Amino acid sequence: MDDKLEQLRQQAVETFQAAADEEQLEQARIEYLGRHGQLREIMKDLGSVSPELRPALGKLANQVSREVEQAFAQRQEQIAAQVASQEAEAIDVTLPGRAPRVGKQHPLLATLEEMIEIFLGLGFTVVEGPDVENYYYSFEALNYPELHPAMDEQMTFYISDNALLRSQTSPVQIRVMEQQQPPVRIVAPGRCFRRDTVDATHCHTFYQLEGLLVDEGVTFADLKGTLEVFAREMFGPQCHMRFRPDFFPFTEPSAEIALTCIICGGEGCRVCGNTGWLEVGGSGMVDPNVLAGVGYDTETYTGYAFGVGVERLAMLRHGIDDIRLFYTGDMRFLQQF
Amino acid sequence: MRVPYSWLKEYLQTELSLAELCHLLTMGGLEVEGFEEWTAQDGGATEQILMTSVTPNRGDLLSIIGVARHAGALSGDGHSQPASSFPEVDEALIDANKATAGPVTVEIVDPIGCPRYSALLIEGIDVGPSPDWLRYRLEAAGIRSINNVVDCTNYVVWELGQPMHAFDFRLIKDGHIIVRRAEPGEKLLLLDDTWQMLGPEDVVIADPMGAVALAGIMGGADTQMREVTTTVLLESAHFDPVAIRRTSLRLGGTQASYRFERHVDPNLTLPALARAAQLILETAGGAITQRALDVKTADFAPQAIEMRPQRCNAILGTDLDAATMAAYLRRLGCQVEEGEPLAVCVPTFRPDIEREIDLVEEVAIVHGYENISPTVPGHLVASGRLTEVQRLRRRAGELLRECGLHENLSFSMTCAAELDRCCFPSDATSRSLVLLSNPISTELSAMRRALLPALLEAAARNARQRVADVALYEIGTVFHPQKIVGQASRLSTTPPGETPVVPNGDEAPLGEGPDLPHEQQRVAAIMMGSPLVGHWNLPDEQAGVDFYYLKGIVEQMCTGLGLTRVSFVRYEHSMFHPGKCAEVTLGERSLGVMGEIAPEVGEAYDLPGPAYAFELSLDMLLEQATLQRAYRPLRRYPAAERDLAVIVPDSDDFSAVRLAAEIAQAGGQFLESVTPFDVYADAEQFGAEHKSIAFRLIFRAEDRTLTDDELDGAMAEVHRHLEERVGTEVRK
Ligand SMILES: [Zn+2]
Repeated sequence: MDDKLEQLRQQAVETFQAAADEEQLEQARIEYLGRHGQLREIMKDLGSVSPELRPALGKLANQVSREVEQAFAQRQEQIAAQVASQEAEAIDVTLPGRAPRVGKQHPLLATLEEMIEIFLGLGFTVVEGPDVENYYYSFEALNYPELHPAMDEQMTFYISDNALLRSQTSPVQIRVMEQQQPPVRIVAPGRCFRRDTVDATHCHTFYQLEGLLVDEGVTFADLKGTLEVFAREMFGPQCHMRFRPDFFPFTEPSAEIALTCIICGGEGCRVCGNTGWLEVGGSGMVDPNVLAGVGYDTETYTGYAFGVGVERLAMLRHGIDDIRLFYTGDMRFLQQF
Repeated sequence: MRVPYSWLKEYLQTELSLAELCHLLTMGGLEVEGFEEWTAQDGGATEQILMTSVTPNRGDLLSIIGVARHAGALSGDGHSQPASSFPEVDEALIDANKATAGPVTVEIVDPIGCPRYSALLIEGIDVGPSPDWLRYRLEAAGIRSINNVVDCTNYVVWELGQPMHAFDFRLIKDGHIIVRRAEPGEKLLLLDDTWQMLGPEDVVIADPMGAVALAGIMGGADTQMREVTTTVLLESAHFDPVAIRRTSLRLGGTQASYRFERHVDPNLTLPALARAAQLILETAGGAITQRALDVKTADFAPQAIEMRPQRCNAILGTDLDAATMAAYLRRLGCQVEEGEPLAVCVPTFRPDIEREIDLVEEVAIVHGYENISPTVPGHLVASGRLTEVQRLRRRAGELLRECGLHENLSFSMTCAAELDRCCFPSDATSRSLVLLSNPISTELSAMRRALLPALLEAAARNARQRVADVALYEIGTVFHPQKIVGQASRLSTTPPGETPVVPNGDEAPLGEGPDLPHEQQRVAAIMMGSPLVGHWNLPDEQAGVDFYYLKGIVEQMCTGLGLTRVSFVRYEHSMFHPGKCAEVTLGERSLGVMGEIAPEVGEAYDLPGPAYAFELSLDMLLEQATLQRAYRPLRRYPAAERDLAVIVPDSDDFSAVRLAAEIAQAGGQFLESVTPFDVYADAEQFGAEHKSIAFRLIFRAEDRTLTDDELDGAMAEVHRHLEERVGTEVRK
């Protein structure tokens, strides 16, 4: 009996001390000090003990009971103090978090990079040409007849008679073909310039992605197929490309390329001028004069080329309504993407 | 071009609705940009107008007949022509350089500028206002009504596409028309009351006294039609597109030059005369008293071209038979003899069709681009991937974004004043700019020489919007008039490990030419305010960017690009704070500069606080950069740390990097790293202009834990070296 009491005392004191919070402590109190707690139960057993042992055991039982109650009270105080002190350290968890800013890619270049990824997947490699081009690569090698009105559309900036800011990425086609025999499959991203007045949809500076594929047996149907794949990959399976006759001196046949309006899905809306189509660039079969100019055999090789504007696609993707935002450097704009 | 619908329908009979017609034309290469519901100014007529946009190769579509002809070809409905015929025109007097009929003589002296000149005299006309129908037609087309005779010629321009001119014949000296080049310094008063100084590149219509009209552009004021005119000489000529363009580029263009530049059918001169005569006789009376004159220096026969049907299918990716192709070409007005190949005679109104490939395009247009089924080319078997330099350039941008900078884009065009504003170095090389010869404005008149001026402006723009925390970088091209240093070509299609095939073994460098400026890729950044979001409870000196923060970013970028030999040296640069500026070098080469923007520059841009910036040559960075990383085994034995502090004069001779190098030199084989971790000045403790720099040294052995004795020995060696060789005091 002595042992039992002593064991109980030890157990109870240890359990109270191990209690981490008020809830655990209360459970321990019920376990040892409650109406059906172990202490009460052991007190009941005292009745069955022989009378001569009873006084001593009774005394011991009372002492154990006091110590257990003391241990409880002490732990209760400790826990209360701990709670109070942690409460004093409490913070306002609703205040803003703090972290280094995450840098964002420019939406225009992010769009361009995604376009490039699609063509990389189709087996194209990426090349770049200079922003300042000479007359030969800009016009002559691209089959522009001398003094042709088609040059008006280019609205070219000149540095000298022979040096100008490229108005399209097409000169890269020539630079590449001069260096390489077919097959050629390249895309050429880059900055282009035209003497355009700046407003919400026009800017003197813009980006283009040029594409060129020259090989045996390349057809106009291949051009359509390739750009269809591009449209689907970029904007989803419901997006198609429309081809309609156009004129570029360096392609024949030539086609304007338009994309299913991604705002209205082709139904017609304000953005697409109710046509359901958005013009995104030009394309065509590389003119035999261009191929012959770089020394390719035009009977063996055919090719297609295309140039897609990047601004419009980026504006559509993000719902940006003013092209000038791209060049403001406004942190509030750039951090949104 | 404005195409009144009722006018078009005079020559096009079709079941198509207006909307269907517009779709057909747009998909057939003549874009209808929109409609206009037009009402005459006096309310007397209404009309639907098709607004067409004509590509520069298709001068034949710049007329009502041209549109009708094309629509008829696309739909298969065909079209009709105006029925005007006069025996005097049908049987015009033809000659190769000079012809006379009654009082009129026409002589071509310049057959290059004017290969054909037809003319017709009408006597006894009554010049006055045009009848309503004529006035309304012209108003709907956007042409101002002048008088009945001039209006009739303008009507023909719009309907047939042949520019015409009406002279008051009595004012032509001797009735003698001479087509020649202008004399140097020859002057002419034009219809718009401007005097023009002409020269040998300009083709003029003259009489023996001098020029009376600027060929293909505008008539002269002296010989124009007046109320009192009773005899008119109608000009219907064919001029060389290049000659007309040369003059119109200099003097400004007109409806006439717009058409001649885009090529007018040389065989249209006589039908246009007949049509104009018919209209003039109807509206102004008069009579044709002489045979027309037709001076032509060539016979302008249709061009014969062959087209291989098989080749056509091979280019288009179609499976059309030869008979279908022939039928398509006939619809366009070609004569086709079937066979292998097809022998095609192209009408003279289509000078843009010169070669087989041009016929292929026509077949595609009539067939309909939308009816060519797309195929995915089977040639795309090789895998496409970025070149090493392209991947490195992407990585450089990524690293800067990972450091919290947003990517910025600014214009390539700038101006010299911008360089003054940011205190750009004023030496001649720094200030030599690539200038545009035809800029839009002076603010955009030169190509940028550096990226930082635009980044400063971006920071200023943000500050004006009360955005105090700015962190921007830009990767872009800058332009120098001459090549300054060697540079890797950005134009390489060759994946690593492959050699490009160069035709003729001619290894010309790509990317630039002799007349082109030097282009260099740069990377630049600007930071201002705090790099943290939510720095509400940090003091400014902890939350804000400083020199070392930006330097850390440069180092992170360089490390990320695999560059280990980057160092920073005190530097003076007019844009930067004289005490807080460093040249960034890679080995022996200077990459660029970084530091705190000079206070006066910050003031010029109204920046609210200090700004930090760098601009480096990305081309040079990437030349030595690499994305390859070799794994270094993790060390198994723990490191031991020892700290030491030295007291040194506050001078560049005792820079942290130099002291660390000295320590490393003396620290023995187990010294793994030396890092400065505390710097402070205390005049009482160390003396004036002295400071204490504390370094943490990490020692480690590959194969065991180092003993205290070994470490003490190494430290003693370091102390001795610093005190005896470097001459610094080591704090005890
Ligand atoms: Zn739409």
